[in-house]
Amino acid sequence: MSDEERERADKASVSRRAFLKGGAAATGALTAALIPGTAEAQLPDATEPDTRHSTVEMTVNGRLYRADVPNSTTLAQFLREDLKLTGTKLGCDRMQCGACTVVVNGRNVYSCTTLALQATGAEVLTIEGLAKDDALHPIQQAFIEHSGFQCGFCTSGQIMTTKVMLDRMPNPTEDQARLALAGNLCRCSAYKKILESVMAASRMMRA
Amino acid sequence: MAQQPTTPGGPLNVIGKRGPNIDAVERVTGRAKYTGDIDIPGMLVARVLRSPHAHARIASIDTSKAEAFRGVRAVITYKDAPKVMIWGNRQYALNNPVRFKGEAVAALAAVDAETAEKALKLIAVQYEPLPFVLDPEEALKPGAPQLFEDGNLEGMPRILNRGNIEQGLKESDKVIERMYHCPTMWSGGMEPRACVAQWEGDKLTLWASTQSPFRVHGSLAAMFGVPDGNVRIIASYVGGGFGTKSAPHTDESLAALLARKARLPVKLQYSREEEILDSNTRFETRIYVRVGVKKDMTINALELKAYINQGAYHTRLGGLGNQATHTYKTVNVRTEQYRVHTNIPNTGPTRGVGDPQEDFAVESALDEIAIEMGWDPMEFKLKNIKRNGDPIARGPAGVEDGRLITQVLDRCIELGAARIDWTRRNAAAGGQPGPKARGIGIALTERGGGGGVGGASVKVNLDGSAMVFYSSTDIGTGSRTTLAMIAAEVLSIPLSMFRTTAGDTEVAPYDGGSQGNRTLQGTGRAVQAAARDALDQILAAAGPMLDNTAPADLEMRDSVIRVKADPSKSVKLADVMQRRGRSAVGLGNTTAPQTGMNVERTTAAHFAEVEVDRETGKVRLLRYIAAHDLGRPINVTVVENQIEGGSIQGLALTQGEEMRFDKRTGGCLTGSFLDLKPPTMMDFDPRLIEAIIVPNEGVTGPYGAKGLGENPCHPGMAAVANAIYNAIGVRLREVPFSRGAVLAGLNAQRPAGSRTA
Ligand code: FES
Ligand code: FES
Repeated sequence: MSDEERERADKASVSRRAFLKGGAAATGALTAALIPGTAEAQLPDATEPDTRHSTVEMTVNGRLYRADVPNSTTLAQFLREDLKLTGTKLGCDRMQCGACTVVVNGRNVYSCTTLALQATGAEVLTIEGLAKDDALHPIQQAFIEHSGFQCGFCTSGQIMTTKVMLDRMPNPTEDQARLALAGNLCRCSAYKKILESVMAASRMMRA
Repeated sequence: MAQQPTTPGGPLNVIGKRGPNIDAVERVTGRAKYTGDIDIPGMLVARVLRSPHAHARIASIDTSKAEAFRGVRAVITYKDAPKVMIWGNRQYALNNPVRFKGEAVAALAAVDAETAEKALKLIAVQYEPLPFVLDPEEALKPGAPQLFEDGNLEGMPRILNRGNIEQGLKESDKVIERMYHCPTMWSGGMEPRACVAQWEGDKLTLWASTQSPFRVHGSLAAMFGVPDGNVRIIASYVGGGFGTKSAPHTDESLAALLARKARLPVKLQYSREEEILDSNTRFETRIYVRVGVKKDMTINALELKAYINQGAYHTRLGGLGNQATHTYKTVNVRTEQYRVHTNIPNTGPTRGVGDPQEDFAVESALDEIAIEMGWDPMEFKLKNIKRNGDPIARGPAGVEDGRLITQVLDRCIELGAARIDWTRRNAAAGGQPGPKARGIGIALTERGGGGGVGGASVKVNLDGSAMVFYSSTDIGTGSRTTLAMIAAEVLSIPLSMFRTTAGDTEVAPYDGGSQGNRTLQGTGRAVQAAARDALDQILAAAGPMLDNTAPADLEMRDSVIRVKADPSKSVKLADVMQRRGRSAVGLGNTTAPQTGMNVERTTAAHFAEVEVDRETGKVRLLRYIAAHDLGRPINVTVVENQIEGGSIQGLALTQGEEMRFDKRTGGCLTGSFLDLKPPTMMDFDPRLIEAIIVPNEGVTGPYGAKGLGENPCHPGMAAVANAIYNAIGVRLREVPFSRGAVLAGLNAQRPAGSRTA
């Protein structure tokens, strides 16, 4: 196979495994999938895992990483297994819960349904990168003060979605915040305290 | 015993306040390690082959190709499974025949997930399909497919009898008979089941996502025939359980078997689909109710006949609660429970065990009969509830040999009714004209506070910092925080100086685990005793530094030990500990408190206000008041969080989470979040949920706490059903309350000629 052929084949295989057109899966688009009757669920296809490898290179929490990974490696796998950043959780691996939410180039994405390859060249922020030199981010402080969690398994995702929302919309109404977080399930249903935490974070960040 | 710095009833410095969880930083920074985050060098990945049949005998199983596949280190089938059941629950680690579609048939461990998944396909199994049955009542009929040699009924029917039900019904002025149905419902946590098993010689360490480490401990020690000391279970951070992780489960046995065979550590993580399919979820109930009342508004007879769909095996836990027997002063009561095996996945106790299902039946039926009699359902319930001093059963038998104490259910009702303004309720159901109608409903509930054996230890370090060790878990209920608060209160060491080690059977004493409202009471009492023990040691060591003052004449406040009679004489805790030169380790081992005749229960009154769209059938929640008696709150923020979250979980049962099974194949049709629709922040506006903590103080728990976790989930279905009836006059007796069911009910109200087909 020539280089060109290989590249074409790789691209084809990537796009087969790309679950949403246009690159990384944004949670905003997926929110609708969780609300019955508003959008068709976009489920991953069932093709065999792609065993070919590629080099991915991305900045995660300010550090540049380069690795050779199977093309089928998801961003969540890359973060959790290759970089050992296990703060990003997997609740469904099917873009239906938001536990795996990370920030890619300023957008909140479901890392379980984004290929590591798709994040090549990107700036990725995970829960581990939020605190600066041990000083917690105001969102983290707000989630602590208002107990915006119970078991904590959804919390990384809730916080990363909140981060993107507040970056874009520093002063949301409660209803705007609710909508923005609708792609992040909390099975403990700590929603009231999560909402309080988000609104408190917004106040702290604007102060 | 040393004088306590603070006593229950005395001034409290830590308890009863609001405040963040002590493990909050770990939880918001991603540092908290859940089982799936554990990584051991050389660890293998396990995958499970699952049955394509609802019921089948395995005629042959050939694993040779899988075993020869490069990277595979161990393959196990039912032939490798020890003939010791998982926690004595009818199920081996692997079984032949298999009894539900999706049951584990074989498992293997390989160097990575991809290898494991490929190798799984190389296992050749020949099945002899057997007839299957999915419905619990069908399963009891003659000629039904049999799951076990001794039939489909699990044990004896559970029958409780008080008074004379037939006579009670006969002597009633009004009797109604109804059936209420709850389907099998998913109730798992956010974290799918996960475990990591590692053998060192004949010692097993298993990290597991479990609520009850010592149950898993006991199950595996028995299965492998090793002494208790050879097994260590660690469940440090658990991503929710809601009962599904309260009993030992197949995954733990499979991981341990594979790790032993491969001689390498093995991680087994269920996918979300596997977790939904095989997670001891909420059991289906069909409850036939007969209730009779007298004209003077008393409940004269209450009978429940319940068919419980246990699924293929059972967890030894579960069944109905005491809604029919413990809430009301009914003289003639009978409950009959048939726990029936069918070819659907295992079910078990889930938040509230069977209480939400039972509550739906009892609280709906009482609403129905009150309305038929023209009574206000709240007045009717208020008149009939048990109050302090009323007789109540101490044990599982129906005999009312005890008496109720510290009950404030009447206050729950009054405060809740005032908050929602019960007077706004429609005097006549469905009376509002127009396309949208509003209604208000009430449902009560009750439960035991949870006792059992508690064990914990408290260690004060040489620098004056402290630790709480306990083997039950913090599944999101905040037990790390509340247990540390109890120790901090007893010792008067600042809470910020505490660390906790949860869920480790090697470092902490035996404890009953985290389920059934028991952690705070059961483990909490042990922590209280352990902290007192440590305090005694500290005060004894301080005496010689304070003119040989007797420990009884010393007290510790804010990590300073003082002579009570002369507070100017003091010494710092850290100095005492340094001088002592060894940590103070306090032990607490407690049994259920002996209260003689007295019985303490936790109760709640929930009020739902809904708006029903008569054109679309949509039910919208407008307000939800959850008034709870939980004794004294240890941490108010934790309590609110439990009430708010639990209420939403109860409400979620009204709108979805039903697990449906294909009648032709027995396969689960609802294997994803998209099918089950657990609520997002948009489904129930969390601002509509209002928690009321009814002031009270118990006597059996630490500092008057009674426990809480289960109750908030109980009344949602009944409260909403009663509110819907009040809005539109349609009675829904099956959950979920679909738009179709609402519209069908409205349609049936119309005169025969104008109904839509
Ligand atoms: S794990 Fe990615 S959305 Fe659930
Ligand atoms: S805190 Fe448990 S799932 Fe959100």
